[in-house]
Amino acid sequence: MRGMDVVPLASGVLTLVSATPVVGVQASREPVRSLYVHVPFCAHKCDYCAFYSAPPSGDVIDRYVAALVRELELVAERCRPDTVFFGGGTPSLLNLRQWETILEAMRRLNLLGAAEWSVESNPATVSLDKAKLWRSFGINRVSMGVQSLDTALLERLGRIHSREMVFRSYDVLRAAGFDNVNLDLMFAIPGQTMELWQRTLDEAIALGSEHLSCYEVIYEEDTPLYEQLAAGQFDVDETLACDMYDALIDRAGAAGFRQYEVANFARDNSSGGDYPSRACRHNLGYWLGEPSFGIGPSACEFVDGVRSRNWANTNLWIEQLERGRRAKEFAEALGPVASAGELAAFGLRLNAGWRFDEFQSRSGLDLRIEWKAELEELVTRGWAEWTPERFHLNRKGHRFADSAAELLLRPEKT
Amino acid sequence: MDTDHIRNFSIIAHIDHGKTTLSDRLLQRTGTVADRDIEEQHLDAMDLEKERGITIKAHPVTMYYNAKNGERYELNLIDTPGHVDFAYEVSRSLSACEGALLIIDAAQGVEAQTVANVHLAMKQNLHIIPVINKIDLPHADIPQAKQQLEEIIAIPADEAILASAKEGIGIEDILEAIVARIPPPAAPKSTALQALIFDSYFDTYKGVVILVRVFSGELRPGMQVKLPNSSKTAEIKEVGSFNPKPYTRDVLTVGETGYVTANIKTPREVKVGDTILDARNPAAILPGFQEVRPMVFSGIYPINTADYEGLKQAIAKLQLNDSAITFQTETSAALGFGFRCGFLGLLHMEIVQERLHREFAMDIIATYPSVVYRVRKTDGVESSVDNPAFLPDVTYIDQIFEPIVKAFVICPNDNIGDIMSLISEKRGTVKNTETLDSRRVMLTCRLPMNEIVIDFHDRIKSITRGYGSMDYEPDGDEPSDMVKLDMLVNGEVMDAFSCLVHRSKAEPRGRAIAAKLKEVIPRQQFQVAIQAAIGGKVVARESVSAMRKDVTAKCYGGDISRKRKLLEKQKEGKKRMKSIGSVNIPQEAFIEVLKS
Ligand SMILES: Nc1nc2c(ncn2[C@@H]2O[C@H](COP(=O)(O)OP(=O)(O)OP(=O)(O)O)[C@@H](O)[C@H]2O)c(=O)[nH]1
Ligand code: SF4
Ligand SMILES: [Mg+2]
Repeated sequence: MRGMDVVPLASGVLTLVSATPVVGVQASREPVRSLYVHVPFCAHKCDYCAFYSAPPSGDVIDRYVAALVRELELVAERCRPDTVFFGGGTPSLLNLRQWETILEAMRRLNLLGAAEWSVESNPATVSLDKAKLWRSFGINRVSMGVQSLDTALLERLGRIHSREMVFRSYDVLRAAGFDNVNLDLMFAIPGQTMELWQRTLDEAIALGSEHLSCYEVIYEEDTPLYEQLAAGQFDVDETLACDMYDALIDRAGAAGFRQYEVANFARDNSSGGDYPSRACRHNLGYWLGEPSFGIGPSACEFVDGVRSRNWANTNLWIEQLERGRRAKEFAEALGPVASAGELAAFGLRLNAGWRFDEFQSRSGLDLRIEWKAELEELVTRGWAEWTPERFHLNRKGHRFADSAAELLLRPEKT
Repeated sequence: MDTDHIRNFSIIAHIDHGKTTLSDRLLQRTGTVADRDIEEQHLDAMDLEKERGITIKAHPVTMYYNAKNGERYELNLIDTPGHVDFAYEVSRSLSACEGALLIIDAAQGVEAQTVANVHLAMKQNLHIIPVINKIDLPHADIPQAKQQLEEIIAIPADEAILASAKEGIGIEDILEAIVARIPPPAAPKSTALQALIFDSYFDTYKGVVILVRVFSGELRPGMQVKLPNSSKTAEIKEVGSFNPKPYTRDVLTVGETGYVTANIKTPREVKVGDTILDARNPAAILPGFQEVRPMVFSGIYPINTADYEGLKQAIAKLQLNDSAITFQTETSAALGFGFRCGFLGLLHMEIVQERLHREFAMDIIATYPSVVYRVRKTDGVESSVDNPAFLPDVTYIDQIFEPIVKAFVICPNDNIGDIMSLISEKRGTVKNTETLDSRRVMLTCRLPMNEIVIDFHDRIKSITRGYGSMDYEPDGDEPSDMVKLDMLVNGEVMDAFSCLVHRSKAEPRGRAIAAKLKEVIPRQQFQVAIQAAIGGKVVARESVSAMRKDVTAKCYGGDISRKRKLLEKQKEGKKRMKSIGSVNIPQEAFIEVLKS
């Protein structure tokens, strides 16, 4: 997860940005169907990364695991997950024993059995034993942070793995029985030519994964890559980035992937549903504004209409849990219009866009009426299509998903 | 004090020759300010004066001095600004005096404002005491300063006192010379009150504080006085002097300078140059001053449109103490509601803008400065235009007259060539070249005022590496081939950038602004065309290419709040942008361009 600029709060104190009742609150005792677990450790910090993660030292991972079990206990009662996602950081960095501790606790707390259960992994840290352990507890999807298959670029990004490790790890996962694998790729990396990008793309596609997530490099403050950019060591070539994105859509499409979100592509045998059958259901939940628990340092959650975030400080988070309470750094509840605006904005990242009836049932507002001017503007800009039953961005519009979102958002207090 | 023991004098000089520093020494030597309390450039009270190291307002102080002849004298000193924009402060101050200390920097010698200020003092028949200052400097050239004094100003060199205000050298000599050489105030013909108002400022508690020189009669609290200009009568509440803080006195007698208050809350009722008279026994009015008229105009707009009222109040407050500022409401399609303000010159404009920012926390944008043009329409009707937006359509214009100045440039011989080409680049002509001494010349020239307001002075300074100087005075106007240059974005005129320029300058200027705009206008989702046009004819164009995409980054659960906040901030930012021809232009872009 990325670092956020949010209002820090005294630990444990929740201050809501707005006290107005929030969409969905009435269903407050309903179980939460989504669980995110943040693992804040990486063997080495990548040059572009602003997620909350750091190389572990001493016994911090063991203390983390104990605290995580504690936090699982605190949310378990409200949580009946259909989807679970272990992200990071590098979840695959935890050793077998640590994984067992967590998974056993989840068994004890009745948190197993999710229909989709993903773990992020680094190609350098996947072993057959670990993969088999994961499978045995019901983990059924692995997302591998490949980023590039070019040795020089991997180095450029400060990644610790090599291209060979990607192929080896991929085989290990398949051997362990994973039939749902995602590969993360990056484009517009400084020094990456169109040719290099297409080669990585083709090689990744040739591996035959079920899912592809492809992101453009973003320059986050306080990362080495940002500093290099600011120091003028390289330039950002927007035209090239744009062409790379086009190439991605064309090649992934030609290889049988169906794009379902700005940066996400999946295999499909759904015969025409809104989302491809191998779409990541967990992430779909985020874009569709569904409630979700988030545990671990810096994890965000959305429960009972309140978005909150755990302390992005592993030690502090551990200390709080050792005292038996969750460590919240920030919380906010939006007003009904603002949260509907957020829903509209993020849902439009999906190729399927919003079906008007579905948007209304989720937000209580009619997209066509409440956002008439904005929808018309999006159509005028040539970014979107407006059909009788839905509104969605088109291929050009996906390039401007952020600008479209900006247009749809409403002030916090509304 | 009896008039024989009063001396009234101003300190005049070119900028930075050490007037204020010398005042410091006089204040110390006379015990007016204790050594431990004195700060450098003590009389420069405003933060801005202190920071920039320049005097903006004239400052009066009353000192008492025990002379070598055993007598005690009241010395009324007025420290004056050196910059040409504030020349009117100098001439007013001089009108309250019988003498002037003329300071000459021993290293710089006589400069343009030295000459200009001496002329002012001579016109008023003041006795001038030349002081060659900064003799402590290693490159001080006393013989040369003396020679220039004789040759350029025609003052005998042996009258000059050698001094270092910094080291405290020559201070005693100066004080003695003031007593010995400056005549005491002339004996009045009658005892009826005549007090010349030479300045005023506003005090929240006391109302208008009026600075006066009593030419006959006296001023005491309780007196009924008359201000002929506004025919207002008022009762004097308080009289006093400055040390340099105001302190009250029982009476201001004939020959003295000081202040009076009369509970006047409306600064307009007090006109600088007017004479305070006894209401019951009014004497004749003293000759006043020439009206100061603003020469440079610029639109001032709040960056945040909600600050409009606040800005209005802030400008009005500044005007209380700086009557040279004029303002009236104005609107601009690009900038909203604001004010057309008049200033004495560019430095004055800069200072007012900075004071608005500092003292009133106003964020403002100022449009490109303009001088005042006389426009004669085809029907013979004439009008003054200080805002290009109000220029009549070209088809109705018979002739535009632009204001001209007579400028004096003093420069080292080595730089004559470069200065001449600068003058011709600025559309000026050299009327006269005069050799000042073996090293320097003085060029007298005529130049359009609009060419000198922006960077003429800076250019002279940089060409001469600081050794050149200039001064100017208005000198009528002349028919001129002026055109209105408009800047357009996607076909719409951005009125804030419109300006009147000479035809020969229009194209290069249009190109320069267009290029600058290209740099500062952020890319939009469509192509933005920037054009410079003269009377509808496009003379320069640039374009900002369309943005092809946003960054297609990861966006999952943890990013949602963060991303929303980021996007909201952007949206907020765009709201504060000016939308012209559906192009969003950030305020900073206007500032950047208007600054350049
Ligand atoms: N070395 C030396 N420096 C001096 C002397 N007198 C003044 N200065 C310096 O000259 C600079 C200008 O001095 P000011 O007293 O501010 O000059 P001014 O004539 O009042 O300037 P304006 O009010 O802006 O016209 C300052 O840096 C002083 O410290 C002197 O006798 N010797
Ligand atoms: S492995 Fe992932 S989380 Fe860790 S530093 Fe690299 S990019 Fe960041
Ligand atoms: Mg001064």
